[in-house]
Amino acid sequence: MIKNYLKIAWRNLWKGRVFNLMNITGLAVAVACCTLIFLTVYYEFSYDNFHEKLDSIYQVYNVANRPKGVEKSSSMPTPMAAALKAEYPAVKYITRSGNTGGVVTYGNQKINEDIHFVDPDFLKMFTFPLVQGSSNAALSQLNSAVITEEAAKKIFGNKSALNQTLLINIENREQPFLVTGVVKQYPANSSITFDVLLRFEHFPQYNADKDSWGNRTHMVFAEFNEGYDPAIFTQQIKPFVNKYYAEDLKNLKRDGAKPDANGNIFSLALAPFADNHFNNDIGIVEGNGISKTYPISLVVIGCFILLIACINFINLSVARGFTRAREVGVRKTLGAGKWQLLAQFWVETILVCLASTIIGLLLCTLLIKQFKAIFKSKISLGMLLEPAHLTGIILMFLAVTAIAGFYPALMMVRYKTVAVLKGKISGGKPGKLRNTLLVIQFTLSTLLIICTIITWQQISFLSNKPLGYNKTEVLSIPVDQGTRGADALRLMRNELRNNASVVSVSGAYMNFGRGNDGSSRRSVLGFIYNDREVRTHLQSVDYDYVKTLDIKLLEGREFDPNFKGDSTGIIINESMARELGGKNLVGTFLPMLDGKPKAQIIGVVKNFNFESLHDDIAPLTLTMLKDFEINYIFVKVKPGNLVGAYDNIKSSWHRLYPNATFLASWLNENTERQYLSERRLSGIFVSGAVLAIIISCIGLLAISIMMVIQRNKEIGIRKVLGANVFGIVMMLSQDFLKLVLVAAILSFPVAWWVMSHWLQSFAYRVDIHWWVFALSTALALILAFVTISFQSIRAAIANPVKSLRSE
Amino acid sequence: MLSLKQISKYYNTGNNKTYVLNKVDLDVEQGEFVSIMGPSGSGKSTLLNIIGMLDQPSEGYMYFLNEPVHQLKEKQRSALYKQNIGFVFQAYHLIDELTVYENIETPLLYQDVKSTERKALVADALDRFNIVGKKDLFPAQLSGGQQQLVGIARALISKPKLLLADEPTGNLNSKQGEEIMELFKKLNQEDGVTIIQVTHSEKNAQYGSRIINLLDGKIDSSIIL
Repeated sequence: MIKNYLKIAWRNLWKGRVFNLMNITGLAVAVACCTLIFLTVYYEFSYDNFHEKLDSIYQVYNVANRPKGVEKSSSMPTPMAAALKAEYPAVKYITRSGNTGGVVTYGNQKINEDIHFVDPDFLKMFTFPLVQGSSNAALSQLNSAVITEEAAKKIFGNKSALNQTLLINIENREQPFLVTGVVKQYPANSSITFDVLLRFEHFPQYNADKDSWGNRTHMVFAEFNEGYDPAIFTQQIKPFVNKYYAEDLKNLKRDGAKPDANGNIFSLALAPFADNHFNNDIGIVEGNGISKTYPISLVVIGCFILLIACINFINLSVARGFTRAREVGVRKTLGAGKWQLLAQFWVETILVCLASTIIGLLLCTLLIKQFKAIFKSKISLGMLLEPAHLTGIILMFLAVTAIAGFYPALMMVRYKTVAVLKGKISGGKPGKLRNTLLVIQFTLSTLLIICTIITWQQISFLSNKPLGYNKTEVLSIPVDQGTRGADALRLMRNELRNNASVVSVSGAYMNFGRGNDGSSRRSVLGFIYNDREVRTHLQSVDYDYVKTLDIKLLEGREFDPNFKGDSTGIIINESMARELGGKNLVGTFLPMLDGKPKAQIIGVVKNFNFESLHDDIAPLTLTMLKDFEINYIFVKVKPGNLVGAYDNIKSSWHRLYPNATFLASWLNENTERQYLSERRLSGIFVSGAVLAIIISCIGLLAISIMMVIQRNKEIGIRKVLGANVFGIVMMLSQDFLKLVLVAAILSFPVAWWVMSHWLQSFAYRVDIHWWVFALSTALALILAFVTISFQSIRAAIANPVKSLRSE
Repeated sequence: MLSLKQISKYYNTGNNKTYVLNKVDLDVEQGEFVSIMGPSGSGKSTLLNIIGMLDQPSEGYMYFLNEPVHQLKEKQRSALYKQNIGFVFQAYHLIDELTVYENIETPLLYQDVKSTERKALVADALDRFNIVGKKDLFPAQLSGGQQQLVGIARALISKPKLLLADEPTGNLNSKQGEEIMELFKKLNQEDGVTIIQVTHSEKNAQYGSRIINLLDGKIDSSIIL
């Protein structure tokens, strides 16, 4: 029987090959993109799941209910971790964690490595098994260093790393360390990444901050005893907060902070490390977390595409069912049972689905490279072979065949035998179901078109908005680790002084956007001014900063080497001026730092977007404090020959630092890089929209072919009665166009809601205009019309004698 | 063998019932060859479809091989039908995607007959109807007469006790028609198959043993030849 089913299925599929090809194409594309999408999503959700004690590890963060709103921060003061462990018995293990880069020297080779500063508990909490050395003892000594297998290979080659001595340069101080352990290379889906683990006591500024509860520099992770309920942490820890954070509480109260529902104005809270990869609102976290919007929109789009392809399948099968009604009738008279007929159609569906899946997976292998590049995805097709995935695929396959195959089969089986044999059913009514499904398809498609247009608008807005500084002609050069920034800046200044294409050179602590070094820094400072706490971002700069970046000076002057006092002066931006209140602020002294003389305001600059356009321009203070390293050198060049200037500066750099890499980038490249995740999202929307539209149109095409076959006689009669081609095309198209219009209108509210939600995350954003909706609708209508026209025009032109004779 | 009691079939058109069959009583004995005649719209095909269980009467009782068909469940009715009734259509209704061989084999598939037995039975049928040479052709490659021959072979493959034919020669020329009718007569007389046929042709009706004339949904006359 099965053999027979297969044989008949194959012949039927071959007979309807045009339809089935469309069907298979649509479904294969859907399978390919869903596979890629779901693998990516799985990968994102699999982050950190290799830690055995994942569920009992939490990151500590604090919540301050400032008068202007809630502020979360995961930066912790240095003595906090030890105090918490001592005073809160539920804590089993606790570790501080901070990162910097450092230059590792062994023999005569120097290598830049990522260094993680942690406490000995780190290796007991997180699952980083040691291949050499023991987890308990590895970090017991102050000069211990634990390195990864990869780092060991890089530094020592094939030599054993254990008990070797390394010199590591941290913040310009070189110290010897003894390798006491080698960590098994951790998987790529680890949020915590490092090459070398050192004791936290070596973290920069450690000695200065050792007892300070005011300076918050690093993350703290804690593992709790089994069965601990993290929900009670915030309330239980209140006495601890009152004891150690008295200063914060006092300041917040004075500034009029409003307590939250639990009566806290400042509290400590826990964020599960299991969510670390998506935790982007508590401040600094391990690794590069992503917003949950990204995997969720991927899943949604994947489901959309699969749904659209399934709808195609159903519509096509139902449409084809009409032509096969007679066969069903005959089979019934030959004694076919309901289930036998269902089985027969199901076999056909399974064959089509199987073909689609195989082609889809082949397509996957072809596309995976580009996909990984575009979406920064680290997936591999090998992941498909994991048992969980295989079952998932099989289940999905069965679900699709069931949904897409069962309904049409049932419809066909239900035909009235006698009517079918008399040929009465072949016409049939358009079908509410078919219309509903078409509307769903085009609702989704239009929705994606609208999303595409709006994200595209927002992104081009982001790239074109003037930021208040020169981003096209300024080059930002990250200073190499192990080099003093101030020295590098001085040398570069001298080197470039005679370079005709260079306008000016300066340096700063923070970059603009994201440079090629990938780091971002921010420093926020609070101080009391006029009995009120004022908070400001701090940017340490060098002479000529304002000039180099073309920032507009509103009052006063820029730092000037000719004025002696300027090196202790500050320049503030408009937001800061507004924060301080009052006019003519130039000349005012501010008590910015404890233990240092008050700083005098020497200038006020126009607001510029020193952070991404997600945020409003916050108060900013420019200083020349030596406490902050110069990490970036900014070079402004003359317009015209940017490429030449770049090469020029590059060779100057290499003359000064023959071994250092030149990571310079133009500022507009850096600012673009800030919106990588937005671009990625828009990439997802574009591809989703294109696929959705293509698949929907394939379905529409097939349905229009069916419709033309069904209405062939009607078209013939109308022509005989004098209808012209245009009239017939319009007649055939209008039913569908009405559906597409309804679909578009249905998509408006959803699209509006989704996109306005997304735009909320930008302080600077475009408005949603009505024409976006109109344009998307027009686009959908045009595409639908063109699709239908292929068939309707042909039917309209055909000689009516033919269609009437065949009756 | 077959007994219809007060069988009616009507459609609701507005507030009126339009009767296709109106309280028909009919008994057919084993071995009979009945021809149903009557003008268009007299209910011939409806009657045949009801006998063949393709259609259900609005009212009345029907007994087939002493089973009360009107009381049977779908499944039982289907089983009864499968084993005992063969249908031949005016438009042949062969399945286009299947070869001659496969078309004849299909009813056996639905009765779960074993593969070897199926082969034997189909081979016999092909032989008997002289279409062995055509077994691998598709219906579109055959003439009308040949298609109808396949249709009859298919209807007879599961050795039904009752063969129903709805204008079996309607689409054939007179020579092909005669051949089919001769075949029917032979089946009736030599193999003892009970046959009920609907026909327009007086001449074809003469092949049978009884002629029933329908008029406006009622039996007008019943003539035994």
